[in-house]
Amino acid sequence: MSSVHILGIESSCDETGAAVVRSGEQVVSNVVFSQIATHQPYGGVVPELASREHLRAIVPVVRKALADAGQSYQSLDALAVTQGPGLAGALLVGISYAKALGFALDKPLIAVNHLEGHIHAVLLEERQKGHHEVGFPVLALVVSGGHTHLYLAEQKGQGWSYQNVGHTRDDAAGEAFDKVAKLLGLGYPGGPIIDRLSTHGDSDKVKFPPLQIKHRDRKDRDQPQEERPRFDFSYSGIKTAALRYVETHKMQEHIEARRKALAAIVRPKLEDHVRLCDRDTLDLVASFQRAMVEDLVSKTLAAARAYDVATLFVTGGVAANNELRQRFERDAAMEGLPVFFPSRSLSTDNAAMIAAAAYPKFLAGDFAPADFSAEAGLALKEA
Amino acid sequence: MGTREVITHSPEETITFGRTLAETLAPPKLVLLRGELGAGKTTLVKGIAEGFHAAREEDVTSPTFTLVHEYRGPQVTVYHIDLYRVDTARELETLGLDDLLAHESLLLIEWGEKFPRLQLERDVEIALERMGESQRRILITGR
Repeated sequence: MSSVHILGIESSCDETGAAVVRSGEQVVSNVVFSQIATHQPYGGVVPELASREHLRAIVPVVRKALADAGQSYQSLDALAVTQGPGLAGALLVGISYAKALGFALDKPLIAVNHLEGHIHAVLLEERQKGHHEVGFPVLALVVSGGHTHLYLAEQKGQGWSYQNVGHTRDDAAGEAFDKVAKLLGLGYPGGPIIDRLSTHGDSDKVKFPPLQIKHRDRKDRDQPQEERPRFDFSYSGIKTAALRYVETHKMQEHIEARRKALAAIVRPKLEDHVRLCDRDTLDLVASFQRAMVEDLVSKTLAAARAYDVATLFVTGGVAANNELRQRFERDAAMEGLPVFFPSRSLSTDNAAMIAAAAYPKFLAGDFAPADFSAEAGLALKEA
Repeated sequence: MGTREVITHSPEETITFGRTLAETLAPPKLVLLRGELGAGKTTLVKGIAEGFHAAREEDVTSPTFTLVHEYRGPQVTVYHIDLYRVDTARELETLGLDDLLAHESLLLIEWGEKFPRLQLERDVEIALERMGESQRRILITGR
């Protein structure tokens, strides 16, 4: 088949994205309008703001993606849009727009699971580098503000199948980064700020207890126990431990002063953050990140050994974390396991990954029914 | 219902208590969950959702990012809602909580006490307080 151009649209959380991807292997354009500036004063994503900002951004973002790609509406082969999981109101903006566009242009529309998109972001990255052979099975860690999932992924014919072998029992990893940044008065988004500050502190200074799941599985449950081993995460405890540390070390006054000082700066830079953090805070930040990274890496590698996988993918917003990347590269190499990450622009939410994940569905003729809608809690189904 | 107080000594015990608590939370009900970060609000919801056969405990996770998690049981739908990042009454309105409160719905709302409207409309309030590393005081107040 000649080259297939798919327009992807993503609006599941705080980025409005549109991208054109050729045949699932080449990003022709990738436009992301981030609402982080809008959300910064609130310390997180606010649903009503998110929907309103998506509405405002979606038409110009799609137009720019087409212009950057040198494509027109008519020259596209198909449209793809994120169905879920995400914020219902935000998802609906992308879906309604994509449906209307598909109807008007008489082009097929493909519904994509956001988590599947993150997995395909890695494949897209590798194919762009000319690397087409991936050893199966793949173990993919999808780690972001709303998700911490481990999937075994395999290509079956033209389609893909996914098996969940682990997820967080309470907070997502990115949520722990955001909440700890907020309780330290560091602002939003917390992940990149903590990542950059962590090199200024001593990561051995604060000892966090091992991040084990606090409550055991019961044996008497109604459903039979799953046979395959699971590798679940838990990040509620470390957030609480950070809060206790702040309380016992009487850091609140210092934190409040920093919160006020940072709020007064329009675009605080790393130097501003460093200047406003005392040694205690920097050590806490560095130690927190070290504990998070060690837990994510060690559980993922344990799952990789248990399932004897051939390849490791690490993807999602937290995959942009520098220490996480370095640690995965070092530790996976010691086990002879190839590990792949998307580039930073494909790690965080984007539409190119949606268009890439849609390509195998396009080949298989797996199009969305006219009445499909947003599914806030959409699970990545096992085929 | 009045007020009752329970002390639990571990997350397991909090989950077990949540399961028995479910029996007293016949829908429709709007329940406010109070307690600071790490007090055990999500842990208690794990037990309540299990009590209604709406979810397995390991599948109940924090709704901070996604705001609303829905667990459908045979008779009861449990909504776990987190208003941690919702600051104004106008933002609250756009969440459409009124649409969720049907005959078979139980709404468990974290950080709902920020909003006077929810304080006024709540049927039950559950306050969790940390007394030690894993010890929690759970205070349940009815109408």
